[in-house]
Amino acid sequence: MPEPFVTIPCLDVHGVTRETRLALFRLVLLQRIAEERVMTLYRQGRIPGSVYTGRGQEAVAAAGGLALDPTDVIAPLNREMAAHFARGVTVGDVFRNYLGKADSPTRGRDGNMHFGMASKDVFPLVSMLGDLCPLIVGAALAFKRRGEARVALTFWGDGAFSVGDVHEGLNLAGVLHVPAVFVIQRNGYAYSTPTTRQMLNTSITERVRGGWSLPCEEVDGTDAIATYVAIRAAVERARNGEGPQAIEAVSMRMEGHAAHDAGNYMDQDEKRRYETERDPVERLAARLLLDGFSAAEVDSHRQAASDEVAAGLAEAELSPAPDPASLADGVYAQPL
Amino acid sequence: MPEITYLEAITSALRDAMRDDRSVFMIGEDIGHFGGPFGVTKGLIDEFGPERIIDTPIAEEGFVGACMGAAWMGERPIAELQFADFIACCFDAIVTVGAKTHWRSGIKLPMVLRAPYGGGVRGGPFHASSPEGWFVGVAGLKVVAPATVEDAYGLLRSAIDDDDPVLFFEHKGLYRRLKGEAPATGTRTPIGKSIVRRAGSDVTVVTYGSGVDLALRTATAIEGAASVEVIDLRTIWPLDLEPVLESLGKTSRLLVLQEAARSTGAGNLVLSRVAREGFELLDAPPALHAPIDTPVPFAPELEDGYLPSLDSLTRALRDLLDY
Repeated sequence: MPEPFVTIPCLDVHGVTRETRLALFRLVLLQRIAEERVMTLYRQGRIPGSVYTGRGQEAVAAAGGLALDPTDVIAPLNREMAAHFARGVTVGDVFRNYLGKADSPTRGRDGNMHFGMASKDVFPLVSMLGDLCPLIVGAALAFKRRGEARVALTFWGDGAFSVGDVHEGLNLAGVLHVPAVFVIQRNGYAYSTPTTRQMLNTSITERVRGGWSLPCEEVDGTDAIATYVAIRAAVERARNGEGPQAIEAVSMRMEGHAAHDAGNYMDQDEKRRYETERDPVERLAARLLLDGFSAAEVDSHRQAASDEVAAGLAEAELSPAPDPASLADGVYAQPL
Repeated sequence: MPEITYLEAITSALRDAMRDDRSVFMIGEDIGHFGGPFGVTKGLIDEFGPERIIDTPIAEEGFVGACMGAAWMGERPIAELQFADFIACCFDAIVTVGAKTHWRSGIKLPMVLRAPYGGGVRGGPFHASSPEGWFVGVAGLKVVAPATVEDAYGLLRSAIDDDDPVLFFEHKGLYRRLKGEAPATGTRTPIGKSIVRRAGSDVTVVTYGSGVDLALRTATAIEGAASVEVIDLRTIWPLDLEPVLESLGKTSRLLVLQEAARSTGAGNLVLSRVAREGFELLDAPPALHAPIDTPVPFAPELEDGYLPSLDSLTRALRDLLDY
């Protein structure tokens, strides 16, 4: 009989307060539960288009969002719902966008996590992966020019790491020496193509260090606490004038690329092992139990997140559908 | 007032805008001490320093994308392409990020992309193109092409003021050839307004950029034989068709002139809209005078035959008037 898999608790990193651990727990729970709800709605035919989740990568999203100060700015991708929540985007905002409502962040003009909010300094996702790399370099350049102690952070995956914009952005960040932080989610796949078929050297850390001479640190992206500590340190280095920083967060995309993709090409044994040993939500729950929280306390946080998701969905469902007559509003910021 | 060149007008607009507003800065390749391939930014680094005249590696996707991020943060960046042909490299940042962001998020991206375009300088297929037509019809973008010294200054000032991404197509052939009175500091040419450059009663020539100078010279050359009205679009997208329709009410004959190959450029949108909105004003099929659908050739014998000229435009006008 093979030994049963056991959840590996997050590392107990000194200096990460109980408040931060609980904040991370709320964020990973919100993303997990909201995405599960989204998948159900999708299967019920209530969400148009497709759905892309970050199951298995919630810790990186939560840590990236939480590692920033309120004055910092962020450009998350599809699998980083928790980063939105960390910035104050609500569950209601997320569901309104998925449902294509009139008062969604995109006013029904885009779905999924394809949205940003100017008021929260969250730039909307662009599906042409890689585009946000130079964009975030430009935001960081603005901070440097104005002498502001602010940081701009974006994410992308091992898939987008092959895009030319990423090279130009990293190179530009280096020569302009701007306070940008790049969190690279090595989740194992670009859609169906494994990392090993995307690049000869699958260590993104080695490539960032050797290719662009930028600091890069590899971290276990399923460990919310370790990831938070790594990203937070990178953010502070960038803020202190040490130039652009990169983090390679290693995890596994625990589902297919999107709702329409069963992910049959993935190594199912490896996936099962990952789901038990390295589920980011359960790893953090296990750490909280070791920290002295009771099972009842941990469960109360699960329940609170579940209630927050239910309330957000209920609120979003009340919103009206967009009016086609409004479609041309806002094509220009300054209409002619 | 002293005379200055079209190029000097652009430099002045850049200098004045940067003096007026700290959030304006420039980014591009070799724009610092070198002053750019045409010398448009020469001297600016002495006044504004390397923090505002930023040299970059060869990375159009990178620095144009970076402009979007800086604009998001409230800056007003101006990017310089060495040649408009290289706009192909940053097409994605322009049409994906630049054009769609405000519509889907309300985030403003005020930035200007300066693109030196056009032929007549023996630049060949990679340094003489007129790619402005690729952006005509892209919701969210504004595309301008100054034809005069005053507009080179005034349209650029307006483009820098504008809260949307503006593509500024400046014609390389006009840089030193076109001279005019120096515009008053602070002059603005409104975006989205075409203008009648010369009044006439027999035929309307609608054009932009380098076409305006050619049309005006041709109109003068044939003024004994025909009275030509010349309309300068100035902003080629979104299109201001009103003055065109008004003019056709008078002349009933339309010739669209452009340097871009005949199936691209801004001309075809003018033609299709006139067909729909001004059909009954016309007494003759509208004409398009533009190069054939090939890249811009290098050899003088080829390029001179390819580009519209005073002779070729005169013939085209005569054909239209003879109809």
